[in-house]
Amino acid sequence: MHKFKATNFSRFVGFVILGFFLVYLSNTVDELRVYQGATVAMYVIAISSIILLTGYSGQVSLGHGALLAVGGYGAALLRNNFNAPVWLCFVGAVLLAAVWGALLGVTAARLSGPYLAGTTLALAVGLPSIANQFKFLGGEQGLIFEIGLPPASLGEMFSLYKWFFWIAALTALISMWWLQNLLRSRYGRTWRAVRTQSVAAELAGISIARSKILAFTISAGLAGLAGALLSMTISTVSPGAFPLTLSFALATGAVLSGINTLGGVIIGAVTLVAIPDIADAIAHRIGASENVTTNLPGLMVSGLLIVTVLFIPNGPVEQHRARKARHHAVLTSTKK
Amino acid sequence: MFQIFNTFLNGITAGSIYALMGISIVLVWRSTRVVNFAQAGMALLSTYIGYEVIQQLGSYWLALPLAMISGALVAAFIELVFMRLLLKHSSQGAIAGIAPIIATLGLLGVIKSLIGFIWGNQDVSIESPLSNVGFSMGSQTLALSPMKLFILGAVSILLISLTFLFQKTNLGLALRASAYAPEISRLAGIRVDLVRTSGWALAGAAGGAAGMLQTANGNGALAPDSLEFSLLLAFGFIAAVIGGLDSLLGAVLGALLLGLVLAFVLTYVGGSLVFITAFILLLVVLIVRPAGIISQRAGRRA
Amino acid sequence: MNRRKLIPASAVIAAASLLLSAAPAQAAEQGVTASSIKLGITVPMTGIASPGYNKIPGAMKAYFDYVNANGGVNGRKINLVVKDDQYIPTLAVAKANELILKDKVFALVGTLGTASNKAIARSAQLSARGIPALFVNTGFSGFADKKAYPTTFSLLPSYQMEAKVIGKYLDENFKGKKVGLIYQDDDFGLDALNGFKQAKIEFDIKIPYASGSQAVAGVAGTWITKLQAAKPDVVVLFGVSSATAAALGNAFAYKYAPQWILGSVGGDPVTLAANKVPPAFLAGAKGFSFAPSPADATDEYIKMFMDVNTTYNKGVTFDNNIVAGMTSAFLTVQAIKAAGPNLTRAGLIAAIEKSGATFANPSLTPFAYSATSHVGATGYWIGTYDATGSLKPDGGKYTVYTTDSGTGAVVTSTYKRPAMPAKGLPN
Repeated sequence: MHKFKATNFSRFVGFVILGFFLVYLSNTVDELRVYQGATVAMYVIAISSIILLTGYSGQVSLGHGALLAVGGYGAALLRNNFNAPVWLCFVGAVLLAAVWGALLGVTAARLSGPYLAGTTLALAVGLPSIANQFKFLGGEQGLIFEIGLPPASLGEMFSLYKWFFWIAALTALISMWWLQNLLRSRYGRTWRAVRTQSVAAELAGISIARSKILAFTISAGLAGLAGALLSMTISTVSPGAFPLTLSFALATGAVLSGINTLGGVIIGAVTLVAIPDIADAIAHRIGASENVTTNLPGLMVSGLLIVTVLFIPNGPVEQHRARKARHHAVLTSTKK
Repeated sequence: MFQIFNTFLNGITAGSIYALMGISIVLVWRSTRVVNFAQAGMALLSTYIGYEVIQQLGSYWLALPLAMISGALVAAFIELVFMRLLLKHSSQGAIAGIAPIIATLGLLGVIKSLIGFIWGNQDVSIESPLSNVGFSMGSQTLALSPMKLFILGAVSILLISLTFLFQKTNLGLALRASAYAPEISRLAGIRVDLVRTSGWALAGAAGGAAGMLQTANGNGALAPDSLEFSLLLAFGFIAAVIGGLDSLLGAVLGALLLGLVLAFVLTYVGGSLVFITAFILLLVVLIVRPAGIISQRAGRRA
Repeated sequence: MNRRKLIPASAVIAAASLLLSAAPAQAAEQGVTASSIKLGITVPMTGIASPGYNKIPGAMKAYFDYVNANGGVNGRKINLVVKDDQYIPTLAVAKANELILKDKVFALVGTLGTASNKAIARSAQLSARGIPALFVNTGFSGFADKKAYPTTFSLLPSYQMEAKVIGKYLDENFKGKKVGLIYQDDDFGLDALNGFKQAKIEFDIKIPYASGSQAVAGVAGTWITKLQAAKPDVVVLFGVSSATAAALGNAFAYKYAPQWILGSVGGDPVTLAANKVPPAFLAGAKGFSFAPSPADATDEYIKMFMDVNTTYNKGVTFDNNIVAGMTSAFLTVQAIKAAGPNLTRAGLIAAIEKSGATFANPSLTPFAYSATSHVGATGYWIGTYDATGSLKPDGGKYTVYTTDSGTGAVVTSTYKRPAMPAKGLPN
């Protein structure tokens, strides 16, 4: 069997083709799906940030929702106070979140396991509520973040939700391509080395602290970008948009994708968006009571998470590859 | 002046409930080296069971011990069925470090959803058995009521009993040994698995007490999404980490410290800074003592 | 599969599934068929602000069921889709989007909460899409501004109006005394502050609370300790039910008892009692309402609502929330009837603007809907809570004071409410 060797260029072309396909889709499907597509794109970026931080660099964060919030607020503040163009708001969101990530990373580098988990948990709980204290952050009802109408050149019938989808999808494509390159580079190998064999890595001259902080910074930047996209889709940024459950959902999405499999990120993202829909449909189909209908989505997501961690802990892609490798090993061992 | 004293009392009372939660987290950590996020969920479930007891039998005093017992049973069951399976399957790969964390998060979600299935998401109410009216001191009213006094007493008794258990009994020794060095403990004849389950059971009981007391201390409203339980989860965990995950006393001290700091911030600065203060406190403690206030070794890695 | 092709490949699979679920282009007027009309509402069914308000959708459905059982409106039956937004604006936006995009409702009705409604109007682009938001359950004065919210119609008198009426009461009865205020720290509370400013009321102590913080243990206690330190003679509680309950409960525990004035939003005694505020503690407090008191069985609308509640909403206690829900349902039916058999969104909006002021009206103040204004009710009557916790109008009869959300004076209203249409059905 001859394995197709994907060169950098062909990967790039693959992304471009995907981009065109998404454009075609957005013109064909229902507006609801287009809007959901924007949310999926946002989750793709957010989950990838967790995959980078936890799957590759081995640091656990239960508070990425806070970093999304930083990005969202940063974008909104830039837009409202300086009337910055939308792309600049996104860049601002990334930078602001990255700075926070760097600070957090410096602290986190000294912590590990549950101590890091606890710190990030506290951050997730604490950060959004700061908005209530400082008036310029808009309090509980938050700030407006409006990116304006689609340009006239796209036609009058071009809905705002399709515009959201285009922006979000494009951003996701670019980020994933960039991240994939990064993870395949020296940096990616360094992170994996630090996670799996930290003593050996240190002996090889890698600065563990520096590597960890870098991972945190980049992960935070991605999270901030996702936060800005999230705010775009709901035209607001407020503490209520970044509850603790968001951070948990991201961790869930990462595990569903395969904690260190960037390629699986779409699985987690689609699942997170699809489950509430599916649960709703099931609940209506069986004519369930109010109690069941409200709680079924949560049950399904959590249940799926548990099943995944128990039986497919490293993600479906990794599982598949491991199975194939075992199969291959059996085959080759029986050949004499 | 009086307000300072009242704030102090509020802080101690809230802190003592966080202490119970923190204790249950430390118990699980010390016996199985797992951080159990589902602790708050189990506490919630125990509290609902306590609510049912009150509905059927009408007595809070019966409900409290029954909630603790059911908490112990639920926790033991989860350990037997769930955690063993988890630890068996997920010891390899990138997931190894965080699998228990993620799994217990999932468990938390499942428990909450099941509670919603059975009891609904609306508030149900638990009457506090003792008066919530503060004692009077002259013309002022203290922030100390019979109920609050009971809470302080209950936590103290539980803490003393648990410390005694850990330090002075064979079970306690077995608990500590099994967490530290399971293989050697087995060789020494300790039934490590049974001991682990006992650790979880104790934690479950403490969690059940925390839930019942927290609800009675507040306005008595109980709901799966209630803010109180999210706080219990977050602050109990933060308290345990501040104290150093290995130390029961540390969890209590951490919780009291947290409760006091939060109460003062609440009264003198503003309600919305409460959460970020918890974070800052945690950060400060971990910067100065990376393994908590009472840590066995400086900079211990998990 | 080669790992590097994974991202594009899996994305294609996901996208294909999107395609499979594609639906055809939408029909001309969404949510309306020859035999039915679909309406949507988002309201806190669970969560911190839900006590009391979570009974509203049930009450609305009950009234709609009653109308459906009697032939519907212009031959169409009304369906109400209910979503829980937990009083969180971003969740309200998500649910509103679901209602519009997924459930494909014709209009939103009775959505609750100032911040939620503002967020929905903005993020679901209600005005750009011409989606009506009828009789929103909030008194934020901004919603009456047709230019800012062209498809939104107020129902409740605005918080500014309420604050001015409270101000008049304070001026007449507590001149020179110290006054305190607890209010929610968002547009809901700020609207009230504006009204108090217009009424020239200066508060000796103001305590804002962030929405949701009333549930954090000890927070409400600090309100009371602050009040005890400042010692006002009168305290206005202008928050949601759970905040009012927390304040009163803690005041009871601290044995603090000034003259309480309860804003209408958080003033339903049944809800408060369910949240551990004993009726005895409520006795003597002042309250405000613009509808007849739910305890007043002599009022023809109350009686009709009670009957509908007993038949179609079994087991639910009748209180202010039921009255509020049924009132907005009642008006919705009036509006749909007025829009005629050829029902469109634009037509509905035009119908309310044209004849809304003459709709049959359970409230005790006139409505002010017009082509230039989307204001609903315009005033309040003042009452006192008695020993059983019921709000009884001062002087034994409803003396309604009306005003506007601006600088207009507070005047005693001479409005006489027209008789209810037969059996409470649209005529």
